[in-house]
Order: sequence, then C-alpha cells, then structure tokens
Amino acid sequence: MIPIIGLILGIILGLFLEPTIPLALQPYLPIAIVAAMDALFGAFRAYLDGNFTDRVFVVSFISNVLIAASIVYVGYQIGVGSQLSTGVVVVLGIRIFTNAAAIRRALFHA
Amino acid sequence: MTTRQGSASSGLEGRTTAIRSPADPRPIDASMDLLNQIIRQPVDPDYAIVKARGESSSRRGIAFGAVAVVIGAMFALAAVQTSRTAPQLAGERTELISRIEAAETQQDQLRVRVTALSADIDRLRTGALGDDDTARTLQTQINTLGPAVGTVAVKGPGLLIVVDDAPSASDDLQDRVLDMDLQALVNGLWQAGAEAIAINGHRLSALTAIRGAGDAITVDYRSLTRPYRVEAIGDPRTLHARFAESAGGITWNQLAQNRQMRYEISSMDEVTLQADPGMVLRWAKKAK
Repeated sequence: MIPIIGLILGIILGLFLEPTIPLALQPYLPIAIVAAMDALFGAFRAYLDGNFTDRVFVVSFISNVLIAASIVYVGYQIGVGSQLSTGVVVVLGIRIFTNAAAIRRALFHA
Repeated sequence: MTTRQGSASSGLEGRTTAIRSPADPRPIDASMDLLNQIIRQPVDPDYAIVKARGESSSRRGIAFGAVAVVIGAMFALAAVQTSRTAPQLAGERTELISRIEAAETQQDQLRVRVTALSADIDRLRTGALGDDDTARTLQTQINTLGPAVGTVAVKGPGLLIVVDDAPSASDDLQDRVLDMDLQALVNGLWQAGAEAIAINGHRLSALTAIRGAGDAITVDYRSLTRPYRVEAIGDPRTLHARFAESAGGITWNQLAQNRQMRYEISSMDEVTLQADPGMVLRWAKKAK
C-alpha cells in the first residue's frame, strides 16, 4: 500500500508544485525515470516471487539511478552522451520487458 | 556490491548452454555474456539473498515511501516538462522565422537604397568627369565594363527559361530542383555565350553564389521561391541552340524527361536585367 500511496502523492506533488529542474540535470531526468521503472518492475517481480524487501528496493533504486546518471555524465564528458543514453535505455528496457513478461506470467499464468 | 558479484558468478555456473568442446570449457555464447545476464537475471539477486538471511523489512518503511514519492514526482515532472517545452519550442521557432523575415525586409530596403545610391554615383561621376578627352575615354570604359560585370542594368534579346520541381515532388529529393541543377543550367547558358544572366531577378555577377541552404536555393544569399525564372541575354540566333547542346541543356532535358520537372524555354525579343546591388569590393584592391 505504501508504494501506491507514495507514487500518487509524488505525482500530485510534481504536478502541483512544478519545481523547475536545473538545466544541467535535465538530460538525466529521462534516464533516471527509466532506471526507476527498472527498479519498480524488479521490485514487483520480487514481490510476486515472495522475496521482496524494501531495503533492497531502496538501495537498488538509488544505485540504479546514480549509475545510469553517471554513465550518461561520463558520456557527455567524452562526447557520446546521447549514444550512451540510448545504451542505458536499451539495457534497462530489456530488463523491464523481461520482468514485465515474468510478472504477466505470474499474474495471469499465460 | 560483493553479494551481487557473487550471485552473478553463480548465475553463470548454473547456465546450461552448449559447451564448445571438452578442452575449451567456455560456452559458445561467452561473448554475449552481458545480454544473457540481463535476460536471465532481471531481478536483483539481492532480493533472494536478503530474504534468505531473514531480515525484517518493516524498519525502512519511511525510506520506501520516500523513494516511491520521488519516483512519482519524477514521472510527473518529466511529463510536465515535456508538455511545457513543446509550445515553447514552437514559439521560439515562430520568433526565429519572424526575425528572419524582418531581416530580409531590411535587406530588401538596403538593396533599394544601394541601387539609388549607385544611380547617384553614376550621375555625380558623369558630372565630375567633365567633358575632356580622358573623361570621355573613362566614360566609355565604364559604359563597357559596367554591363559586363553586372553593376548596371542591361537589356537585350535573349532567353527565358522557367524550371520547377516535378509535380509529385513532395517526398523525393531527386524530383526537386537542386542548387546543382540551377548551377548546371547557368553554366550551360554561360557556355552558350550568354552575356548576362539573372535568376528570379537576381543578377549573376562574379560575386554571386548559387547554393542550397536547407530547403531553399539561395542566389546572392537570397532565398528563391519556386518556380525559378532564369533570364539570359545573348545572341538570339545561336543562344538557344548552343544552350541545348551544352552540358547544362542536356542535363535539363534528362531532368524534364525522366523526372517530369517543369522546363520551358522561350526566346525573348527584349529582356531587362537589373544590376547586382551587392557588387562592392571591400578588401580586394587593384594589384598595381
């Protein structure tokens, strides 16, 4: 229940407060979101497997976002920022799809 | 981190892919390790490890909730920002377009002014030269050279060539008139003995470039609008025939036949070509 309430609260906060993101951080927001989605799907799958722990979720989310952002940061320093962003999105995307498929199988047995 | 690495290697050992040979224990797809690992281990292995250790999970409910709030806020922020920047970008584009149009209007006004001032210069020069022998020689020289270099308007018999994109030119770049095609056309006309050429009223001189800039062709740094009207002054008896035989003429025959581009040549008894207002040399001086 906590995650759903938290998500909704976060969306409401984001929509109504509309804090402006510093320009320097803007390239990292989409990457952070994809990393967060990866953590979310992984957590949900672990939950369905029966071994979810919120500590691992918090740590994996933070490390996912930080690592993805730092990869993109290094990429921008050496001039291949957008390519590395694509790479991060592809790798995390594969994981998201795999997890989503496992979740679908666990939920619908199909 | 150490636990993750340990479990990652255990995942590799547990794999049952084909083995290359007894002597080489590496699996065939060893080079695809990263992708395999991503697909086989999509869930963070720490979940299972921590669960096996049996730690209670209720202590960190606050951190969990905070992360959930952060994730939700990120989604909302990204969505808001994307939808907010879209009209902003469109606005910037409109503003840039209007600035370009304003600059072009100003350029037009300046050109008109240049033409007027050139006429003044001509008049004052004629007055200043007086009427002695050297003055008459100079005046003759000016009168011969002016038309040739393009500083004065000229008229005479010639050709009018109208070219345009093929009717179905919406997507295929090959069906459109390119800067190269106009260059070929103009070069063909020079080759055929044209003495003065203008494209859409822009007189070609030694300083006039024909080039493509984005979607448009520019002559003398002015964008042209379709259709392209190329006017040339030259010998009325031979200009047309010699142009048809030139490389440019042949190119355009092919373009008209294979690409259905518009290509109309008509002979004119009298064509008037304006002066090139940009004929100013700021840096080049006579060598001696």
